[in-house]
Amino acid sequence: MTVKLVKVTPKVERYPEYEELDWVIAHGLGVDHTADITSFSQTIAQAGSIKGIETYYYMRYDDSPERNYIPMAFYTVLGKPKVPVLLHEEVEPVGELFKVIAVFSSSLLLQKTAQRALLFDGAKKDAILLVNTSITTDDVVRLVKKYNLAQDWFGKVVTISAAKIDSAIAYPMLGALARGWDRIDLDSILTALDVLGKEKKKESVKKGYEAASVKEVHVLAEETEMFKKIKREVELPEFTGEFWTPEVYYAYQKAAAEAQTYPSRIATMPRWEVLAPGLIEFGPQPGKRNLGFTTPWRWQRPIIDMNKCTDCKLCHYYCPDGAIDFAPIKVDIDYCKGCGTCEKVCPVKAIKMVPEIEYLEGLRDEEVLRRFEQREYGF
Amino acid sequence: MSAIKPMPPVAIEKPKAKVWNGARAIAEAVKVADVDVIAAYPIRPYTGIMNSLASMIANGEFTADIIVADSEHSQFEIVKHASAVGARVFAGSSGVGLAFAAEAIIVTALSQLPVVAAIGTRALDDPGNFGMEWSDALMFRDFGWLISWAKTVQEAADMTLVAYRVAEDRRVLLPHFIALDGAAITHVATPVVPVTKQQATEFLPPYRPPYRIDPQDGPVTKAQHIAPSLIGPEERKTIDVAQKRSKQVIAEAWKDFAKYTGREYPPFLETIGMEDAEFALIGMGAYMKDLELVASRLRSKGHKVGTVRLRYVRPFPAEELINALGGVKAAGVIEFGYSFGSPFGTGSLYHEVATSLYEADAKPTLLDFLFLGGREPTVEHFTQLAEKVIESAHKKPQKKTYWLTLRGEDI
Repeated sequence: MTVKLVKVTPKVERYPEYEELDWVIAHGLGVDHTADITSFSQTIAQAGSIKGIETYYYMRYDDSPERNYIPMAFYTVLGKPKVPVLLHEEVEPVGELFKVIAVFSSSLLLQKTAQRALLFDGAKKDAILLVNTSITTDDVVRLVKKYNLAQDWFGKVVTISAAKIDSAIAYPMLGALARGWDRIDLDSILTALDVLGKEKKKESVKKGYEAASVKEVHVLAEETEMFKKIKREVELPEFTGEFWTPEVYYAYQKAAAEAQTYPSRIATMPRWEVLAPGLIEFGPQPGKRNLGFTTPWRWQRPIIDMNKCTDCKLCHYYCPDGAIDFAPIKVDIDYCKGCGTCEKVCPVKAIKMVPEIEYLEGLRDEEVLRRFEQREYGF
Repeated sequence: MSAIKPMPPVAIEKPKAKVWNGARAIAEAVKVADVDVIAAYPIRPYTGIMNSLASMIANGEFTADIIVADSEHSQFEIVKHASAVGARVFAGSSGVGLAFAAEAIIVTALSQLPVVAAIGTRALDDPGNFGMEWSDALMFRDFGWLISWAKTVQEAADMTLVAYRVAEDRRVLLPHFIALDGAAITHVATPVVPVTKQQATEFLPPYRPPYRIDPQDGPVTKAQHIAPSLIGPEERKTIDVAQKRSKQVIAEAWKDFAKYTGREYPPFLETIGMEDAEFALIGMGAYMKDLELVASRLRSKGHKVGTVRLRYVRPFPAEELINALGGVKAAGVIEFGYSFGSPFGTGSLYHEVATSLYEADAKPTLLDFLFLGGREPTVEHFTQLAEKVIESAHKKPQKKTYWLTLRGEDI
């Protein structure tokens, strides 16, 4: 059976009511950053409320940040006079919403967000990018232009190497935020900490304020690599009203794997008429892999030293995603989540995990390395 | 709509009637339905069914894997998984057993697996209450299961075969409960004309799921994790549409069943004396026999009373019910299920009937008669309530709901 494909450009709906508000989106990695992102968002909301602004914050509910390294996000929303704060939990990253994009690890600059959006999808043109990193503001802008920006950006980049100041990285980051954004000033953050009973953290916030580097940015969409690369349309099977056959299913799966934006990813989810009864999903043929749903949260990758490898196959059997081929032993990097299980089980220490930012860009980010050294596995 | 009437006996093999109780009759139907996997866990009044099945298998009467599970939850998990790999399966339970199995039962419907299970209806325990109540079966009316309700042992046996036929139809693919009034069907023996093996084979084709979990068919995943933003309402809609489609499939199946066995049933409603009725008694299950007796006695006294028996609660035959009740002045719902704190303190079946009638052009006065806590009703109770219905057409009733068999003031 052949499936006829049709090109679809997903409709992007903008919500002007939401664009009038100031959204702070904070991206982090599950478990590692959950507590810090919570404190960060809570303090901003508290500071806003001290300034008489209506605020609230919440976790993006679709994420599962109880799992290690899974990308997660928190939203903090600040109202404006005469504009009520509206609750809209599943915020689609379209339009001009985000005034502040806070990134808790530079590894997130190399990948799409959990929603398959670019980091700047849904950002205001004058957005402030706040990154916890030791690399320079210039490097940050370069990475963003390469991996994560496909629109005009006339804002600021603020960097802070937060863990150098306090292991609770939320507080130096709050200080850095106050340095870059006048809406939430240092005083109101400090008062907020009093209210929240976290007086001890005031010092970290002040140090963060001092240590932050701020740089004005002026980037046109055409200057970014992503602008040329990103495809906004998807190829979907034509709807015939038939039950979901394997062929139709694979066509949807392929479209989903190739989808590069949040709207196109959503557009690849089938309408109910083509769902097989009882939600059947057709798997790949034996020896083949699914068409790639697994990669977005890899922040480190395994490198196998074949001189040390004894071909014992333990890594193949332990890999929770079946990403390591049996013969010859080889990592199919498109399916590797970077969990590090293979490194842990290798009896001859032939596998070494390397941070992605170092592997791809040759950048040594102390903030990433610090975490890298402190990694713990659940076994 | 008409009462059960036998077809002319030409060319139909007529097996001799056997005296079986409901449990045995169901088990015999399961036998001729060529079921592959049976999971069992005892709870009264369902226990008789598993006992009959176990002894039939032990005596070599038929071959099936019977698994006595460690609980009702495991029992329903076992049949769910067996169904997913392509087996025809049977299970059953009662009362709190079903409540414990609820998770497995609900997922079975969402996975669209045509499990057929019998419910010997039972009160949801005040500890040890094994009386007949409908609360256990009606608990599952909201999750996608088809639910039919038998009046006689004969009908219970026949419903079992039709249940497989409907559940496994590719337009439906939903699990199916057959509700048998505890004690009144499960424990009462009456003459039953069995469906022969040949009739069953002709009526019921082998189960061929469109996509089963079997390496031969290629790898498939079932019941995978769902992110609500990706698949949520879509999955619910497939169940909804399967329920809606099932009405046509049910009607076809009962028509076909009559062709092979000579026993004719109206698919959704059995109405008696409703052609000219001014008063209607609406109910389900075994005690409809008593209500029909009461109706005919009142008719001989000059009251135009008819009865409407629902054979299915899911899918609920709303249009058929509206048609049947056209021209009726007053009606009473007779039921053994309740919802505490519900609008006007009415029972579960009343809600279904009242919701249907909201769309009717002319609405009869509707009263609710409740038999709760498992105490057995008598003809006397049914006569009292029928008189209340007749009276309500002339005089506005003081209340909507009546608890019968209750000691103390019904406030």
